[in-house]
Amino acid sequence: QDIDDVGHKYYLELELEDVLDKGRTVHCTAEVLYPLGSKSSAPDVQVAVQGELRSTEEADKEFYNRIRSLEKELVAENIPDSHGNVPPELEPIHLLAWAASGYVTWQNSTENTKFHLAQVKHVKQVKRPDEDLQFDYLLLLHEMVSQEVIPWEVTVLWHPRSGARVPRDRRQPSH
Amino acid sequence: MRLPVLLAALVAVATCTETFVGHQVLRVVPKSDEELQKVQELQALEHLQLDFWLAPRGLGFPIDIRVPFPSLQAVKAHLEASGVSYSIMIEDVQALVDEEQMEMLRSSRQLSLNTNTFNYEAYHTLDEIYNFMDMLVAENPNLVSKLEIGRSTEDRPLYVLKFSTGGTNRPAIWIDTGIHSREWVTQASGVWFAKKIVQDHANNEGVASILETMDIFLEIVTNPDGFAFTHSKNRLWRKTRSKHSGSICIGVDPNRNWDAGFGEAGASGNPCTETYHGPYPNSEPEVKSIVDFVKSHGNIKAFISIHSYSQLLLYPYGYTETPAQDQKELHELSAKAVAALSSLHGTKYKYGSIITTIYRASGGTIDWTYNQGIKYSFTFELRDTGRYGFLLPAKQILPTAEETWLALKVIMEHARDNMY
Repeated sequence: QDIDDVGHKYYLELELEDVLDKGRTVHCTAEVLYPLGSKSSAPDVQVAVQGELRSTEEADKEFYNRIRSLEKELVAENIPDSHGNVPPELEPIHLLAWAASGYVTWQNSTENTKFHLAQVKHVKQVKRPDEDLQFDYLLLLHEMVSQEVIPWEVTVLWHPRSGARVPRDRRQPSH
Repeated sequence: MRLPVLLAALVAVATCTETFVGHQVLRVVPKSDEELQKVQELQALEHLQLDFWLAPRGLGFPIDIRVPFPSLQAVKAHLEASGVSYSIMIEDVQALVDEEQMEMLRSSRQLSLNTNTFNYEAYHTLDEIYNFMDMLVAENPNLVSKLEIGRSTEDRPLYVLKFSTGGTNRPAIWIDTGIHSREWVTQASGVWFAKKIVQDHANNEGVASILETMDIFLEIVTNPDGFAFTHSKNRLWRKTRSKHSGSICIGVDPNRNWDAGFGEAGASGNPCTETYHGPYPNSEPEVKSIVDFVKSHGNIKAFISIHSYSQLLLYPYGYTETPAQDQKELHELSAKAVAALSSLHGTKYKYGSIITTIYRASGGTIDWTYNQGIKYSFTFELRDTGRYGFLLPAKQILPTAEETWLALKVIMEHARDNMY
């Protein structure tokens, strides 16, 4: 729908599938409004989820406790590796990067972009005095139309009760 | 030493479900009966889940205990409270297991003596793939030959495998993989296709009937310089490795360098970008060698260029919205090919012309081949749709190659049955 002087609105019907719980899908509707003009602001998104998402409380708690009890801060790189492997204990780190890249993608999307997380180049845990877990990521985002791989520094805060937040992100030059 | 054997056993377990993150292996050498008894007390405590690699034997004999992470504190406290000294043999069992697993994979790659022991479920280096080609030719000299169609910018040979049961300049099918070097599942699939063609011929099934009247040309590593670079320096390198004067940036997008709408919208004139079309058409030897081959062969009937990722089957054009003259036939053939592909593992593909299905792209391979009169010009974008993207796990190589092959057969059979 073209909205004069405002932008282009898209009405979407989606099937959400949990990659960790395949075979079960949840129906969603969404409205995405891409603003007109050269000023780069994120598209406006409204989503309605029709159904229940799986509870991850148990796994969240386990991950949270495991990371909190590490003596040395977690450091890892190349997730997945060149062969597509992700060590099982790094899978939550990978999934968290996915969530964070979703936020960055949303903030930087136009009608002519299509982003995917290509790889977690580097991740470093930062211990915090408060309850949150903090991970400083260097993500590689693949943009389909230009085919560019864009390095992106992303700081992610996470807590089982409050979920993931991205307080800081910075795009880096390609190469 | 027992360690490697035990580790190997652990690796076998680890590859299934268990993880040994944070587990430690402690060694106690009991110097008195009291110390021995203290350790034996630990043995009785089942909830600690201790795994004795070296069980208590007697005074002076080492006792090695793998202690799961949750039990570490309790065990150490017990030993220290009794004054039993211990040393930490392995600080993190999982780290060692991971290392061992990598070693095993590495060594299993080096030792392939023939194409039957070759590991099709792993990604390989350029040398390993070139070695595979030589083995395949040596094992099947009456069917397979290796042609050098040119040299890359960094002077690597550009090899094409020719599968032929005879004749002179028979109508032919061309398949290339790896033109974009980071799309690793494509080269890996190309290797599998090569072996599959040989097997079908030996068993007189599958493409054996196609080989009665047609030849198949397969270029597995179409961009060897880029491929070597993805192994040595940058796994996500796409382009060639050429340097053209006037820029410090390296590489041309080999799928924008063909003489079809060259330089028009849908490619970049900036050498530092991933879709840089190059200074002029066929500036890249990787592209020119194929152009020369196609022109001098003169009898290619189907041309299929394989990429990843996105799960698409595409036909011309990319550089213009004008529909291809054979649009209807190509669209129907795509539908059949995609249905065949899906029949194996349910993998969903979309299909259509490049410009309507993916994006405008100029100077592309199959736009050029189509304009040369090769009607059945197709591009595949293999698995997946973005979850792993270019870094597709090796365990998906086989299912990807197998399902794609079904689609390729549909196209090849159609070309054979609709000779023009």
